[in-house]
Amino acid sequence: MDNMAPSKKAGFQKERERFGYAMVSPSMVFLIAVTTLPLVSLLAMSFFRIDLTSPMDNGWAGVENYTEIIKDHRFWHSMRLTAVYTTVTVVLQVMIGLALAMAFFRGFRGQGAMRVSVLLPMILAPVVVGLSWRTLILTPEYGILDYLSILMGFGSKPWLVHPSWALVSVILIHTWQWTPFAFLVFLASLNAMPLEPLEAALLDTRNSWQRFRFVILPMIRPAVYIVIIIRTMVALRAFAAIFSATGGGPGTATEILNLYAYRVSFNSLNLGYGAALGTLLLLLTVGISMVFFRMRKAN
Amino acid sequence: MAKITRRKFLEKTAKIGGLALAANAAPAFLRHAWSQEKHAAYLNAQIKWRQVEGEEIKVLITPAHYFNKFRAVSPQFEELTGIKVTFDIIPPREMREKAVLDFGAGTATYATHTGDPMFLSLYEANKWIEPLDDYINDPKLTDKKWFDKDDIIPLWLAADSVKGKLYALPSEGEATIHVFNRELYEKKGLKPPATMEEFKETAKLLNKIDGKAAGAALRGFRGAGQNMYIWPSLFLAWDGKWFDANGKPLVNSEAGVKSLEYYCDLLQNYGPAGVENWNWPEIMEAYAGGNVAQFIDANSTASVIENPAKSKAAGKTGYQRWPKGPSGRRVTSIWNWAMSINSALSKKKKIATWLYIQWLTSRPTQLSSALFMESADAVVRTGVNRVSIWTDPTYRKAINFTPDYADVVLTTMKEDTDPDWRPRVPQWPKIGEVMAVAIQAALVKQKTPKAALDEANAEIEKFMKK
Repeated sequence: MDNMAPSKKAGFQKERERFGYAMVSPSMVFLIAVTTLPLVSLLAMSFFRIDLTSPMDNGWAGVENYTEIIKDHRFWHSMRLTAVYTTVTVVLQVMIGLALAMAFFRGFRGQGAMRVSVLLPMILAPVVVGLSWRTLILTPEYGILDYLSILMGFGSKPWLVHPSWALVSVILIHTWQWTPFAFLVFLASLNAMPLEPLEAALLDTRNSWQRFRFVILPMIRPAVYIVIIIRTMVALRAFAAIFSATGGGPGTATEILNLYAYRVSFNSLNLGYGAALGTLLLLLTVGISMVFFRMRKAN
Repeated sequence: MAKITRRKFLEKTAKIGGLALAANAAPAFLRHAWSQEKHAAYLNAQIKWRQVEGEEIKVLITPAHYFNKFRAVSPQFEELTGIKVTFDIIPPREMREKAVLDFGAGTATYATHTGDPMFLSLYEANKWIEPLDDYINDPKLTDKKWFDKDDIIPLWLAADSVKGKLYALPSEGEATIHVFNRELYEKKGLKPPATMEEFKETAKLLNKIDGKAAGAALRGFRGAGQNMYIWPSLFLAWDGKWFDANGKPLVNSEAGVKSLEYYCDLLQNYGPAGVENWNWPEIMEAYAGGNVAQFIDANSTASVIENPAKSKAAGKTGYQRWPKGPSGRRVTSIWNWAMSINSALSKKKKIATWLYIQWLTSRPTQLSSALFMESADAVVRTGVNRVSIWTDPTYRKAINFTPDYADVVLTTMKEDTDPDWRPRVPQWPKIGEVMAVAIQAALVKQKTPKAALDEANAEIEKFMKK
């Protein structure tokens, strides 16, 4: 009977384990179904010719979709736009977010109300943001921004209809909506700073710029990295606001990679090629984030 | 207190029951009579409307006033056939994507949808939809004489056919016409233009006439159903051909370049600010608000333009056919909401769907829904599918915006047409996308018209070859 004990215990352990698995399995199945499966099928699709407009030729394509991408000038155009869009929006968000956080950190009258109003854009759905910018803010002559521009003597600007202006506009929209996120993170980490170094710095530094540069910035560096990583990942796959504001146009002036993949898949109905573009976007996002994470660790 | 005996109790309940029965029976009988009268027009058809009673079908439609009317009258169909009809309502672009995804995955969620005729080649190539001849020629399913298919606007039937076979029926449609502000024309002493050159001339003379109205507007937004809805008419009026005899694309031919130059010149110089992002609602609203002097777009805009509550141009607007292009042709767009039967459905559901399509596109439903007022400020349908309704005095009275409005539209639909107004090939979605980008790139001066079209032509050639 004695030698039954360990096996009995193991049996109990096993049962517990089994019970544990049973308990988590629904959520595991759910997670696999909604995240892993689509990802795997995206990857698989990218190796097939799935073109609904010529169904006769569909079938295994190997890396054909990828070799075609290399020759695709519209793809390279969208890559350049993605690079510009991501870099500029992230830099602007970090700079403005940090400036705002510093302003709020020092505190002033009416801070509470200001804090709420700064956060408002982030609460809106990007589609709503894109549409309201397109109609309420940027409409020639009647939009708020265009009206102000006329009032101040700069004249009406082709916000969404001139290729370069349109790119500026979508960058503006993204920055406007997502700077509050950077602001929030920076403000939180400023508030979490220990007071002693700051007090010491008040004596040891000559001006507030020096305090910021040599004392505050090093202390909130982790927050800056986190903001850059998260905002880059989001900017790379931005979609809804651009889609509703310009649709990637005029021409292809604001067609970043994500929008191009969408148009290939759902307007041209070339699902295989679209999947290959989607896979590249995924690799790009993962690759860049990994580089940032490494840099963060190294620091 | 009277004692209730068993007998009395039974007597009383019997009486009450009898009364109740009578009360129930009478209206049921009357109801039947009423519905007989209401459905009289349909009961003339020698088919069994209730042959697949109890089936349920889901229809995908877009939010538009005419579909509101169809939805409002559809309970009559349910009463007539015992088939339940439910609707999903989504804007056109998303609707098309949803329909294609439903087809592609074979889920058969939607029995039918209000499709784009340009997509029928694609549907046919994938065998996603049923050829309708099988249904029309089956006497159990269609009373041909009653349905009278040939009464449907022939051009729309042509547009809804692929390789000579009918795949869909038009439930509602439109043609593009020239809509102009008569008051402004009179102010300048202008006559309605006869040619496209004259049209541009009037745009020049009317531009900023009262300090704000732009000379003319056409769709500028990028999309197969936006700028690629209006430019094809210009291309053909300049004598353009989509393909040569060997199937090589010809969009960068002289006709292509000249017509695109015209389009860019007109809109860049005399168009409203922001027209590069305008689709028909923006054009219609700007015109109704007095910010555009004239435009060429769908005739259906008239029902809003002529509504004094919504439009400053009500009662001051003139309508005419397209001015002639350099080739002497006028070419309208061909648009109709084409309803087809999803091939992935069960046999019974296919029949139910056919009965619905037949009912919806039949003369009685087209007429009753056209004049149906689903709300106090409802407008009349201006896209009924039957020639006999367009010549029907009741209907003509309802759309008597100007004495010649009905005739302008009808003549346009009969004469200013070309079934190959846009290239009807399975690759259309790609062509539409490539061309839409090219046209807008030229309009915003990202590229010259020639460069934009050269590039588009090369791209189309590439995927047509595959």
